[in-house]
Amino acid sequence: MSVADTPITAVMDYPRRDAKDKLLGRTRYTVDRADANTLHAVLFRSQIAAGRIVRLDIEAARRAPGVRAIVTAADAPGPFGIGIADHRIFASHIVRHHGEPIAAIAADTVAQARAAVRLIEIEIEPLPALLTMQAALDPDARIIHPEWKDYNILLEGAKRGGNVAWEATVERGDTDLAFAREDVTIVEGCYRVGRQSHVPFEPRAVIARYEDGRYNIETSTQVPWTVRSVTARALGVPESFVRVTVPAVGGGFGLKFDCTLEPYAAILARKAGRSVSLVNSRREEQLSCLCRENAEIRIRSAVTADGEIVGREATVLMDCGAYGGEQVFLTTMTAHTLGGNYRLGAVKLASRAVYTNTQPNGAFRACNGVYNTFALERHTNEICKAIDMDPIEFRRRNVIGDGDLGATGQVFEGDVLRPMLERMVDKHPYGVGREPADDGWLRGRATTVGTWFIFVGPSAATVNLNADGSATLVTSGVEIGSGSMMQSLPQIVAAQLGIDPDAVIVKSADTDASGRDLGVGGGRQTVSLGAASTAACAEVREKLLAVAGELLQADASRLILKEGRVAVVGGGASIALTDVIARAEATQGPISGSGAFTAPGVASMPGCAAGHFIDAIDIPVFAVHDCELDVEVATGRIVIRNYRVIQDVGRAINPRAVRSQVQGGVVQGLGYALHEEITINEEGFFDQSGFETYRIPLAEDVVPVELEMFEGAPSIGPLGTKGAGEVPILNVGATIACAVANATGKPVSELPLTPPRVLALLRDRAGKIDFDHIGRNWRDNVIA
Amino acid sequence: MTVEFELNGEPVRYHGDPRTSLLQVLRETYWLTGAKAVCEEGFCGACTVHVDGEAVPSCLRPVGLVSGASVTTIEGFAVPHTPHALQRAFEEHDVVQCGMCFPGMVMSLSKLLEDNPAPTREEVKRGLVGNICRCTGYERIVDAVMSLQHNSGARP
Repeated sequence: MSVADTPITAVMDYPRRDAKDKLLGRTRYTVDRADANTLHAVLFRSQIAAGRIVRLDIEAARRAPGVRAIVTAADAPGPFGIGIADHRIFASHIVRHHGEPIAAIAADTVAQARAAVRLIEIEIEPLPALLTMQAALDPDARIIHPEWKDYNILLEGAKRGGNVAWEATVERGDTDLAFAREDVTIVEGCYRVGRQSHVPFEPRAVIARYEDGRYNIETSTQVPWTVRSVTARALGVPESFVRVTVPAVGGGFGLKFDCTLEPYAAILARKAGRSVSLVNSRREEQLSCLCRENAEIRIRSAVTADGEIVGREATVLMDCGAYGGEQVFLTTMTAHTLGGNYRLGAVKLASRAVYTNTQPNGAFRACNGVYNTFALERHTNEICKAIDMDPIEFRRRNVIGDGDLGATGQVFEGDVLRPMLERMVDKHPYGVGREPADDGWLRGRATTVGTWFIFVGPSAATVNLNADGSATLVTSGVEIGSGSMMQSLPQIVAAQLGIDPDAVIVKSADTDASGRDLGVGGGRQTVSLGAASTAACAEVREKLLAVAGELLQADASRLILKEGRVAVVGGGASIALTDVIARAEATQGPISGSGAFTAPGVASMPGCAAGHFIDAIDIPVFAVHDCELDVEVATGRIVIRNYRVIQDVGRAINPRAVRSQVQGGVVQGLGYALHEEITINEEGFFDQSGFETYRIPLAEDVVPVELEMFEGAPSIGPLGTKGAGEVPILNVGATIACAVANATGKPVSELPLTPPRVLALLRDRAGKIDFDHIGRNWRDNVIA
Repeated sequence: MTVEFELNGEPVRYHGDPRTSLLQVLRETYWLTGAKAVCEEGFCGACTVHVDGEAVPSCLRPVGLVSGASVTTIEGFAVPHTPHALQRAFEEHDVVQCGMCFPGMVMSLSKLLEDNPAPTREEVKRGLVGNICRCTGYERIVDAVMSLQHNSGARP
């Protein structure tokens, strides 16, 4: 089969094979898998945000009815983390956030475990809690991790110190010169966002067993290999002692991109000698959510009259909570998002993960890209206002195109954003056929651009060809709901082997069966696992065609795989795949192939990025969003009238599935833009502990998203694919904010745009945001 | 205490605290895990079942109050091998993502269609006020429901 045929045969609206059982209520998620013999675990958590543990007495709890095991810090001493090993699963001497686990109990029933938890006696001497980044960055602030200098560094090159867990910087060119130019206008703005909670319908949940000297962990995760390594580190055992399997996952959105509950269940299972289930109640799921972090941003730019951005300086403070977690990695993404979209002259960026005495944060669909794009696009429109240039024209002139340099000096390939932007405004011209808003309402529209990336990195795949002509694909992929395990992966393998996708069996993740993988997230499953699967298929094809060539007396290069047969190109002889497989089994044994993929590594400019995990992005993804909305003057209520997306998808191999992801992702973004926000009270815990107080979008809140897929942009993904599931949320906050600013004429600097916040803007009660703790002089914001 | 009721067409006797939620009894006593415990506050609808022909969130219904009633869960809703037209429409329109909300969606919307076989889009959306989905952004769910009107021959 010529390679050119493969994309065509792979592209289809292949339906999901898991839909029927999900609709019949038969799918068993991790939360559905406990049985009568399973013990149930509950965590004992700190009820204050900061303090010293003076006394912990678990004896009464140990003797409580039904209790089978109880564990504390002494049972799980190992530190872990991303970039720095600053985290342990239990607080031992110091409590750093409200809800921090101190002990875990397994009992016959959940009620017994809860009752036993109440018998734990603890004395904590309170310390002043640093609940905001401003408080944590005060020069006189208490150090939340006094032992920070002794932590094991897992990635070298970043500056750290005080309550700054991690600092990533970019310095390219001389911004001082740029800002000193006489022909520039200097525009400056500050932006702020709150935390967003994922609210996956299946909370984090795990069932662990200890069998034959190994930990067997069945869990609701996006990252089986991270769970394996972190559990091993936490428990101080070799990684090979831990096996992770993953059933259907009831939603993740990034929350399950980290190891959380698994080590507790594992260690309790070992102690109790029984299987142990640990499932977050909704309240716990909400209060311990590894949210999209709250952030504070200062950005300033020097721009010429014709719109050239000659200098840009920005500082982004990201609240990582009490431990570094994903925010340490995510400091990297400021360069590629806030520093993205536009060609820049000189640039200085600082991205700092700041420790506070709050619940740690995590990864959430497009992560900090979402608020960095909000800040950047609002700032861009402020620039346009200051230099009196049309925002579309400004973007047309400045968006990154073929051969342009990104913030870290990487050279971008292909003109993607500009044609996407032009297509949007050509299709929906400004100022044409617009009805005026009703009395009492203001109407606004905005068009924004966004840059995100595909998180590549290691993936492995094995393809076993079966005697019946079917193929089994073995990877560490997980079906979290996006459909990539059900649709794109079988489609890719089927196209490579010339068989029906129904004949591709897709094994769910089992770290004992499959090779290492970074997990499902960052839009990587179709790309990275797809590429590894394609490589595995290449080996299968080579072996298969060699045998078929003998049988058909033709050179392997003249053979194609199609509809379950091997045929000579241009018609003529053919043979059933099953006959070739039978022949192979008789002469050399069953056919299988293995394949691998990793980040190819794109060059950046040496020396301009420090503390970054990724200096340049291997696969950029672009999006153009456009929204028209109405703002009710009397109430501050926002009503979305229409929402349009042009998304760079590389190649859509399942267009219908891509549409589903875009609709779902935009709606999550509308929640973020309009009303979703976790707030932290003076005791240091979340005000929103459930569905009553944390409102997520309802059916009546949404509109159908008009999507146009932009195909053909360069991608190293298999068949030219890019991940399509993560990026739809990227510029929703930006677009809504810019449209509200256009409607009201007011400077929107904060999300979400709740009615009270919009009213405050309309009535000029919302003061301009400024941050004392982020200096105007960029140098003051970084560790010397 | 004993509570007698009919569960998916069979008489059952539950022995235990009558204040226990019907949801918990279904999941932990009868191992019927199709109704999902998501918010457990009556907001999300993922635990919706039919009690005497009415769609109710089983998390808010103490099992003592279903004494003598007929309870149908997602497991007992469709005849095996012949899913309800609504389930078929969801499958055909590729609506499902993570799937956690769908048993409840099916139980609620099947009742809505019984009461109003030809709803408008707005009526379908209003009918979903007690059923939340975090994955799909809803529109395709509504598309699937609307398709049943254009394809009424397929309805049971």
